[in-house]
Amino acid sequence: MRAAGLGIAVVYSFLIAWLFGQQPATFAEVAGTLSSAVGGYRIDQQAFDDGLQYFGNDQFAEARAAFERADPAHRDARTQFYIAYAFYREGWGRFYSDDRLYRQGLEAVDRAIALAPNGRLVVNEPGQELRTADELKAELERGLKVEPSDFNPARVVRPRK
Amino acid sequence: MTPAREAIHLPVLFLTVTLLAGLRLGAAVVLIPPSLFSLILAVLLVGVLVQSGAFVPLRVINGSRTALANLNGGVVVVTLLVASAQMFSLLTPDSGLPRVLFSVYFLVLLINTMAASPDRIRVLRSLAVTFGAAFVLKFIVLDALSDPAGGRLTRLLQVLFEGVTLGTLSQDPQHPAAGYLAFTAIVMFLATVFLLRAPRFDEAGSTQAVALRRQD
Repeated sequence: MRAAGLGIAVVYSFLIAWLFGQQPATFAEVAGTLSSAVGGYRIDQQAFDDGLQYFGNDQFAEARAAFERADPAHRDARTQFYIAYAFYREGWGRFYSDDRLYRQGLEAVDRAIALAPNGRLVVNEPGQELRTADELKAELERGLKVEPSDFNPARVVRPRK
Repeated sequence: MTPAREAIHLPVLFLTVTLLAGLRLGAAVVLIPPSLFSLILAVLLVGVLVQSGAFVPLRVINGSRTALANLNGGVVVVTLLVASAQMFSLLTPDSGLPRVLFSVYFLVLLINTMAASPDRIRVLRSLAVTFGAAFVLKFIVLDALSDPAGGRLTRLLQVLFEGVTLGTLSQDPQHPAAGYLAFTAIVMFLATVFLLRAPRFDEAGSTQAVALRRQD
């Protein structure tokens, strides 16, 4: 009885400490984080493929919705990378970038980096210029800063990555 | 205290209180750890419980018990401390003047209770009144005064209080379920603190019998 009680208390304490550390925002995140801890988490591949298709067609809101459906627990680095990429592309503008979308993109790419092994994430997909999470993060951070180069008229002809 | 109560019921109840009291519902669910000040208040509260006899640490940790039993006792002490800290964290408003006032209120009240050194029953009653009053003030009064969707009278009162307190009174609006969650945590905490030294039914009966014999 005493040993069982001690075991229950220790397991419950660790669970609570883990929840406080991880700060899952939804029950899907709780379930996803728990299953990924034992290697059992899988994304919804169909939803991910739909997201990629929307992303390729410049339908960014639809793409993010599909990626969210694919990875509701926010535990897959590649999906989080694409969510961040969708924020970047939607927020990109010739004259100015949308800071709100860029900030959300930065949050997503930070999640992707945190989830990737050793923080290194490379996504080789044809037709996309930004292939690593580091490049995407740097691009998003650059967009949020006001620099002298922002006032360069040649900026309007720069390509979207 | 039965082994089941000491090893399972008390730790599980205190840990559940820790979890419930740390939950902040909103657009996203956030878990808030106890503040440093609430840890100090928790130490004072445990001191009050020990002084009043509501909790006797020597009953759960002493040299005549086995190592495993002492470990169970240690878990009870630690979980009581953490749950107490979370309770103070839960009942203290998140910002502004109310946060300062509530913190001072709890501190003065605990020091006053220590100085008065009341018995177990009085401490438990006092704790219920203190937590109940803080609950009403934070989750009913302050919440109503900070409700942006309130009626004309509420908005008028808000403007009045905002002016008087230089905008330090109003709090962020709370999730509709936050009050219910807090109420559950308070009731669970008080019940568990009562269980720390609640006599078993047969013991209670014999204690009453002894008291009646003494009166005779």
